[in-house]
Amino acid sequence: MDIVQKKKIGLIVIILAIALSIPLFVTKPYYIHVITMCLLWAYLASSWNLFCGFAGQLSLGHGIFTAVGAYVTIMLFNDFNISPWIGMFAGGAAAVLLSTLIGYPTFKLRGAYYALATVAIGSGVMVLIENTMTLGPFHVGGAEGLIVRLMGNAPAYLQFMSKVPYYYLALAMLVIVVVFSYWLKNSRLGFYLSALKEDEDAAAALGINVRNAKLVAAAYSAFFTAIGGVFYAMLIRYLEPMAIAGPMMSNEMVFLAVVGGSGTVFGPVVGGITLHAISEVIQFYFSDMAQGLHLFIYGLIVVFVIMFKPQGIIDILQKYYNRFLGISDRGEDESSVS
Amino acid sequence: MLLFRGRYTKLVGLILVATMMMSFVVGCGGGSESGSDKVETIKIGNILPLSGSAAPLGKIGQQARDMAVEEINAAGGIKSMGGAKIEMIYADSKGDPATGVSEAERLITHEQVALITGCYQSGVAMPSTEVAERYGVPYFVPVPSEDQITERGFKYVFRLAEKTSWRNRDQVKFIKEMSEKFGTPVKTVALIYENTSWGQGAVRAWEKYIPEAGLEIVLKEPYPSNSSDLTPVVLKCKNLNPDIIMLVSYVSDAALLTNTFAEHQVKPIAFIGTSGGFADPQYFELTGDNCEYYFDISTWEPDVNRPFSAETNKKFTEKYGYAMNAEAVKAYVAMYIIADALERAGSTDPEALRKAFAETKITEGPTQMYASEIVFDETGQMVNAPLVICQMRKVDGKMQRVTVWPEEEARPGFEVVWPYPGVGQ
Repeated sequence: MDIVQKKKIGLIVIILAIALSIPLFVTKPYYIHVITMCLLWAYLASSWNLFCGFAGQLSLGHGIFTAVGAYVTIMLFNDFNISPWIGMFAGGAAAVLLSTLIGYPTFKLRGAYYALATVAIGSGVMVLIENTMTLGPFHVGGAEGLIVRLMGNAPAYLQFMSKVPYYYLALAMLVIVVVFSYWLKNSRLGFYLSALKEDEDAAAALGINVRNAKLVAAAYSAFFTAIGGVFYAMLIRYLEPMAIAGPMMSNEMVFLAVVGGSGTVFGPVVGGITLHAISEVIQFYFSDMAQGLHLFIYGLIVVFVIMFKPQGIIDILQKYYNRFLGISDRGEDESSVS
Repeated sequence: MLLFRGRYTKLVGLILVATMMMSFVVGCGGGSESGSDKVETIKIGNILPLSGSAAPLGKIGQQARDMAVEEINAAGGIKSMGGAKIEMIYADSKGDPATGVSEAERLITHEQVALITGCYQSGVAMPSTEVAERYGVPYFVPVPSEDQITERGFKYVFRLAEKTSWRNRDQVKFIKEMSEKFGTPVKTVALIYENTSWGQGAVRAWEKYIPEAGLEIVLKEPYPSNSSDLTPVVLKCKNLNPDIIMLVSYVSDAALLTNTFAEHQVKPIAFIGTSGGFADPQYFELTGDNCEYYFDISTWEPDVNRPFSAETNKKFTEKYGYAMNAEAVKAYVAMYIIADALERAGSTDPEALRKAFAETKITEGPTQMYASEIVFDETGQMVNAPLVICQMRKVDGKMQRVTVWPEEEARPGFEVVWPYPGVGQ
C-alpha cells in the first residue's frame, strides 16, 4: 500500500471518528437537531445527484419522491400499524414505480423541456395530495397535512425521544448514499451516465441504451430520495404537502447539489452540510435583527460561491485534498476522493 | 471574471472555507454562554413567520406582543416573582413546519425559555407544539385555529383562538337566528371555497352543522385561490339559486367573486364570508360598493362593543400607524393571559406554569377586549372563544365593517339588513 492510499484511508477514519463522536461533546438537543438536518440535506442532495448530477439532467420535481416515500410509509404506519422500518421500503418501492412511470414519457425530452416537465409533475403531485382527504382505507389529510401517530420512545417504530438516534441514523444514511454514489460512478452504468451527460446522441451511437440507463439511475435516485422523505417525516412528525412536496423541497436539493458540485461524489455532501450550516448560523444570529436579513445574507454568500466557483465548493476542497495527498492538481479527477 | 483567476481564486477559496468552518464551529460552540440567566427576567419564546409570504402578519403579531409586554413590564412586571420583567425572544419560522420545529428546539434547549407562544400558521403550530410537549414546556397558541391542535391529548398546549369549526358552527347559528327573526325561510346553501387546507377544513365543519340545522347543501364548489376568472363558479351558483352563499376566500379571489356576483346580479338571501380575504383592508378597495351587505365572521372588530377594545386599538394605531386586526388582538391578549399565569405560578417551573394555565379564570382587565371570561377546558382549549358577525355597510359614504351579531356586542344604532337587497339598493 503506497503512501497516498494510507493517507486516504487515514482521512476517512478521522472524518468518521469525528462524525461518530459528535454527540459525545455536542450535548444540546438543538445543535444535534441542526447537525442532523445538515446531514439530511446532504443526503437528499446526494440522492438527487445520483441521477441528475451524474447524468446531467435537471430535475426540479424531486420533492414528489420525498412526499411519496413519506406519505406511503406514514399511511401504512397510521392506518395499519406497520413499522416505518418496514414501511420505508414500501415507500421507496412506490417512489421507484413513480419515477419509472414518469421516466418513460419524459426521458425523451431534453434540457429545458425535461426540467419544465419535472416542474409540472412536481406541482401536479402536490395539488393531488392537497386535494385528497382519504385514499381507500388510508387517511391522507389533504392540504391540512398528515400527523404521524406518536408512540413516545418506540425504537421499533422509528420514534425516539432523544435526538441522538436520529443523528446516527442520518449519518448512516449519508455514508450509505456516498458509498453507493462512489460505486455507481465507477460502475458500468456510471460510465454510461457520464457519456450521455456529455452527448446523448454520441452515447446512443456507441450502443448505450440511453433510456434504460436513465430509468435505472432515476430509480436509484427516487428510492434514496424517498427514504430521506421517511426520515424527514419521523423527525418532524407532521407532513404538510407544501413543505414535503412543494417547490422549496425540490429546489433545495438541486441548489445544494449544484453549489456543492453536482456530478461529483462529495460535492452534494459538502454543499448540503456547509450551506445548511451557514443558513442555520445566520438565522441564529441575525433573525431577530431585521426581518428577512438572514435570508439576504445567505443569498449573498450563495451568489459569491456561484460567481467565483461555478464548479462548486468541492472544487476548492479538491485542491487542498490533492495537496494533502501530495499529488498534482491536474493529475487526478474528482473521483479519486475516497 | 478573468481577474479573479490565479492567485485570487486561492485567496477567495481560503476565505470561503474559513468562513464556513468558523460559522460551523461558532454555531456549535455558542451554547455554553447561555447559563447567565438573570433572575429578574422571564424569557418567553415566540415563533412567528417573520420572513416569507406571511411576514406582514407575523410583524403585526410581534408589534401587538411588544406593546402588551411594555405595558406589563411598566406596571411592575410579575409581582409574585419580585417584579420580574418579561423578555420576548422572537424566532422566524418562515412559515415552514421544519424550521418551526428546529426553532422550537432552539428556544427550549438553547434559550431556555419558560414557555413558547405563537405561531400564526396551523401548519407550524402542529409540529412545534409536539416539540414543546416532548420537553414538557408550556406552549400557548393564540392564533392558529386548526381543530386538531388541541385534540391530540397534549398536556402542555393551551389555545386562545376558536377552533376553525366553531366559526362555521356560528355562521349556521347566525343564519337560523336571522331567518327566524326576519321570517325568511332558508332551505338551501351553496359552499364556495378555496381548495387548500383552510377551505377543506371549513367544508368538513359545514357538512356537519348545516344538515344538523335542517338545511340542505346544494353546491360544493372548490376553486384554486389564484384563479384569474371565477365566472364559471358564479354561473353555476346562479343556476342553482341557493338561499345562502357561504364563502372561504383569500383577498384577491374574495374580491373577484364579489365583483362577479354583482356583475351577474346573483341575489341570495345572504352572502356570508369566513374572515381571511373578506377581513383584509384591501378587500374594500378591490370591490368598492359591490360588497355592501355581505356578512363576515371574525373574533374581533374595531367597533365591537367590548371594554378596553377602543382604547387599545387607538393606542396601537398611534404607535404603529395602522389599526389592529383580530390576530393582533389575540396576540396582545395572550401576553396578559401568560402574565396572569406566571403571576399565579410564582415561578417558571413548567409544571407549576402548566397548572396555572389550566386553572386560568380571568374576568377583568385588558383581556375583556377579546372575551368576557378566559377559561380553558381539560384539552387546553379556550372555552367559548367569542365570535362576532359583521355586515359591510356604507357609513358616511365609506364602506365599513359594522358588528351586528351577537346583539349585545353590536354597534349601537345599526340594524341588520336581511335579506340581501341586491347591489346598489
